[in-house]
Amino acid sequence: MRRFSGRFRSSLIIGLQGIRARKLRTLLSMISLFLGVLAVVVVQAGASIAERALLADLELTAGYDGTRVMDMPPQQEAADIVTSTVAGRSDAVAMVAVSGIIGEPGVQPVNPGGSPIDEDWGPPMQCDQNGCVPLGGPKGEAVEVRLTALTGDIRQFRPFHQVSGQWLNFTTVPAMAPRLVLNREAAKAFDRHKVPAEMRVGGAANNVTPQFTGVVDDGDSQPRVYVRMDELATWLPTSKLADPNTNSELRMMMVQGSPVEQVVVSKLKALGNEPYVYTVETRKEQQKTLNLMQLVFFAMAGLVLLIGVAGILNVGLATVGERVEEFALRRAVGTPRFLLAGIVLVETLLTGLFTAAAAIGVGVAGLRVVSMMVGNSEPILQDVQFPWEAGVAGIIAGLVAGVLGGFIPALRAAGIPIATVMRA
Amino acid sequence: MSALIELAGITKVLKGQEQPRTILDGVGLTLEAGQSLAIVGRSGSGKSTLLSVIGLFDRADSGSYQLEGQEIGRLPERRAARLRSSHFGFVFQRFFLLKHLTAAQNVAMALVNGQGWLPRRQRRNRVMSALEEVGIAHLAKSRPAKMSGGEQQRVAIARALVRDPKILLADEPTGALDIETGTLVIDALLAATRRGCGLILVTHDRDHAARMGRIHDLVDGVLTERAGVR
Repeated sequence: MRRFSGRFRSSLIIGLQGIRARKLRTLLSMISLFLGVLAVVVVQAGASIAERALLADLELTAGYDGTRVMDMPPQQEAADIVTSTVAGRSDAVAMVAVSGIIGEPGVQPVNPGGSPIDEDWGPPMQCDQNGCVPLGGPKGEAVEVRLTALTGDIRQFRPFHQVSGQWLNFTTVPAMAPRLVLNREAAKAFDRHKVPAEMRVGGAANNVTPQFTGVVDDGDSQPRVYVRMDELATWLPTSKLADPNTNSELRMMMVQGSPVEQVVVSKLKALGNEPYVYTVETRKEQQKTLNLMQLVFFAMAGLVLLIGVAGILNVGLATVGERVEEFALRRAVGTPRFLLAGIVLVETLLTGLFTAAAAIGVGVAGLRVVSMMVGNSEPILQDVQFPWEAGVAGIIAGLVAGVLGGFIPALRAAGIPIATVMRA
Repeated sequence: MSALIELAGITKVLKGQEQPRTILDGVGLTLEAGQSLAIVGRSGSGKSTLLSVIGLFDRADSGSYQLEGQEIGRLPERRAARLRSSHFGFVFQRFFLLKHLTAAQNVAMALVNGQGWLPRRQRRNRVMSALEEVGIAHLAKSRPAKMSGGEQQRVAIARALVRDPKILLADEPTGALDIETGTLVIDALLAATRRGCGLILVTHDRDHAARMGRIHDLVDGVLTERAGVR
């Protein structure tokens, strides 16, 4: 071990002396390698940022990886079972989504069916045995939203981004006027249409006057509002929310291993209701696509890196050719062959590392510039951090290029006959 | 007590030509600690080849080579490198100083060779004492380009001495120097023999050869000791 340490230090000292003595050559090697390493850094950074953005979008809508999700048919009894079982628990949240219209009473909403505000899904239809006919009535200042009632803080499963205002507070006494948190699309709708604060929900005895408390980004393209289940229940019993004849949704999200799952499944089965339970595995599902994308880009980056390796190899061979006497002399004073190879490898490895450091520096600076210039129009690039994976990839690329570029020169150096000094 | 080095029946044949050529033909040689010995002969007589064999740069085709009583003629390269580092010091006609290193760094080259590790302070002390021994400690930080030929050769001698070798091998060390400077270089080499170091000097110069304890003539690969030398 001590001997190895001495040899390692020896090769490091001699390698650094060699680099210092041939600064221009080292610079030329670095230039030839720079683009290759930079390509690897950029590809890895791009892939990491794209992966994070993709996963972040999917996490917003589907939930964090590992979250258990239970979807069930919206039966009134099922809604009661689910909400009563999860009440007061922190490891599971139930949600019931129904259609709600906020705005002028007695008019058709500007987005019938709860469509995105810039899309037209056509008028609502009424269907019977003779076919479907569009529902009549004038369009007015009202917005149709998906009203999602929650029993707890859903953000432990879906990482909503707070855009403005405040998220629902589940620790306070329920308010009489239900507090709503809008998603971005709903906020856009209410920004464009000044509507009266009156909310209609099918099955409710009265229209209620909601209060908006905040806006979140939930990744949903439909206008959606979130409300505390208990605040809505003041006006509308939970059992009325889940109606199999409407397009209501009943879902529960929970942590893995939560006892709630078993209890709810048993109770629902007793009712003849078969829930669909699954685990969110976004990363696994996307991994194949991401891997393929990464492979294609890495193949291209590898090609550029290979050209850089050829450059460092070329300079390395020329340098060894120039240093024949030096290496023969070093052997004459007792330097073992493999240490000579080590010296050459250390030089190329250090060159690779310096190049990697330069490429990573340029990558970090470039990302900052891009973020500053287009961050406002591209949210993915807003305040984006340089991914550490790109730094690691750059260092590995630099080291691999150093080994590949230095291997043959190292063999040449180790094979220089010692008698060269005697015949010079 | 065994001799420092003892060669017997060393033969070296140069192959790879139309007709193999015998460079060393049954060479025998003995050197004791503190002895000096000159090998003289015409160019191409095999002097440098003999020095290569003695210095473990090259192997003889046949014969026996003992160092302190141990046969070393067939050593693997790794052990040969260790012996070169621990037992031998080399001085060449061309000084072979690395121009990008200072005199001290050139001398330290023999210490930073992967054969054991000395801390920086000990390394510096040994380098400085080697430079002092050859009288050029004041040039420690100078680069070869700023030194005269004699100074450069003394740096090369300091490099050979820095590991306290048991045998100094000098291959025409004065060949590129004027008479006066050459004499100083031979003085420095002989000074090492007074510490018990054996010296083998290959030279064309009769005057320098005459200062050695023994003179051997190498003619067509055959080594003979000249009689009547002190």
